[in-house]
Amino acid sequence: MTDTQADVLIDVRGVCKTFANGVVALQDVSLQVRRGEVVCIVGPSGSGKSTLLRTLNALETISSGDVVVLGQSVHAARVDLDRLRARVGMVFQSFNLFPHKTALENLMLAPLVVSRTPAAEVRTRCEALLAKVGLADKHDAHPAQLSGGQQQRVAIARALAMQPDIMLFDEPTSALDPEKVNEVLDVMKLLAGEGMTMCVVTHEMGFARAVADRVVFMEAGEIVHQAAPASFFDAPDNERLRGFLGQILK
Amino acid sequence: MQASSRRWWWYGVYLAVMLAFGVAVHAAGKRVDYSWRWERIPQYLISDDGTEMKAPFDGFVSIAADQKSLTLKELKGGRTQVLSGFDDLLVGDGDLVFQNDPLARKRGWVAGPLTIGLWMTLKISAIALLFSMLFGLIAGLGRVAKNPAVYGLATSYVELIRGTPLLVQIFIFYFFVGTVLKLSAFTAGVAALAVFTGAYVAEIIRAGIEAIPRGQMEAARSLGMSVPQAMRHVVLPQAFRKTLPPLAGQFINLIKDSSLVSVMALTDLTKAGREVVASTFSPFEVWFTVAAMYLLLTGTLSILVRRLEKKLAHD
Repeated sequence: MTDTQADVLIDVRGVCKTFANGVVALQDVSLQVRRGEVVCIVGPSGSGKSTLLRTLNALETISSGDVVVLGQSVHAARVDLDRLRARVGMVFQSFNLFPHKTALENLMLAPLVVSRTPAAEVRTRCEALLAKVGLADKHDAHPAQLSGGQQQRVAIARALAMQPDIMLFDEPTSALDPEKVNEVLDVMKLLAGEGMTMCVVTHEMGFARAVADRVVFMEAGEIVHQAAPASFFDAPDNERLRGFLGQILK
Repeated sequence: MQASSRRWWWYGVYLAVMLAFGVAVHAAGKRVDYSWRWERIPQYLISDDGTEMKAPFDGFVSIAADQKSLTLKELKGGRTQVLSGFDDLLVGDGDLVFQNDPLARKRGWVAGPLTIGLWMTLKISAIALLFSMLFGLIAGLGRVAKNPAVYGLATSYVELIRGTPLLVQIFIFYFFVGTVLKLSAFTAGVAALAVFTGAYVAEIIRAGIEAIPRGQMEAARSLGMSVPQAMRHVVLPQAFRKTLPPLAGQFINLIKDSSLVSVMALTDLTKAGREVVASTFSPFEVWFTVAAMYLLLTGTLSILVRRLEKKLAHD
């Protein structure tokens, strides 16, 4: 991995965020993600992980600092957010599939509406994506007819349909029944293996250890520690991280 | 078996109550000093009076030998008019007639005043419905907008309209807006109804949009869709399904509210009813008939919406 500036796809610089009710969500957070890197963000609930992820595509505003994604300052006044967001896929904890559309229509909507790609081309690409996440036989199923794991796989395929450069995952397996978690993680491993740049907020330590290039630990709105998974989990040289790992790996 | 026989018992109770109510109404009608003349009503729905052909100008009539056509020669001036295709002659050869005098009659069934009034009510309601949807959609989107100007305008519209009686609004539209903009009574009536109903539709649509989880908008936006694109393809189609029942109720109200435009010079079903009462002196029968005709319109709309709901539920 080279260290040139061009390879930094996400550059968070000293971001602070205070909610309207005075709660401090992010405190001077800085984070860089390079092309092809898989970064997992872990930490107790309420530590600001999801908020940080949501500032990356401006679903959340920031109070100060700067977020540069794909070379563009996300929170600048004159940024074409729609265009930028089209290049940054996002997967939500609650799937957020469009319930009035079938699985295939969920995938095809944005490419047709946003990119104005010819319908036949979009259909071919989206069918291939559904097959890739193992749902080739569910084209015409509505979200309500799918299990949670299947819905989340459709949601991943939907984000991929825009052919993004970066994928953001906001606790993608937290709303799933335990036996459905792995089918989603397997799809994410597949993506990581293909070199997709990924930011994953997760509680799945096994996934973080196996797939992440770097694991980031957040607590109380701050990035407390970040390291490669081996040292992160096996030799954590930070008191607060040890406390957290002690809690969850008991 | 037990459950189903109990069910039949309650159907029986329902029928008995309805029947008792009908008998009570009938008895009440008998008790007052009123002679019921239902037989007078049908002619105001449909009649075989036929249509009269009227003189377009003053002149002398000359009738053709075969009695199949007549020629009207203008009294002062050189115009002539040939009429044919009638069944009965109402004038004689050489008669002097004046403008709008009946010359001949064409036999056949024609709609009576109540039916014409029903048609007028239907026309007013249908056009007002289309525009109220448009106004309601725009104002409803304005009510969820973040822009203070858009939000303020939409809110003012809704509050202003909901806070004043429809009858007063109709007078304002007829006397003030209609005069300033030189609107016909029909246009002013439709506009008043559309603006009034639009305010209620706006609140229904706002509630429908707010009932859609925020994650839907976020998902659409995170895929690169603009707010209008997300509204059009993701939020509104879902909101529409949720709001169909209250919208249907509002449109049924619209049909009923349209009776208030009879205060303008518009012969809708209610105004037609008043006119028929004036010529028959049978107010009881006429108003029952008018009520039944309104029920026909609202009932049909109800059924259509229920079908649409079922269809959407299947999709």
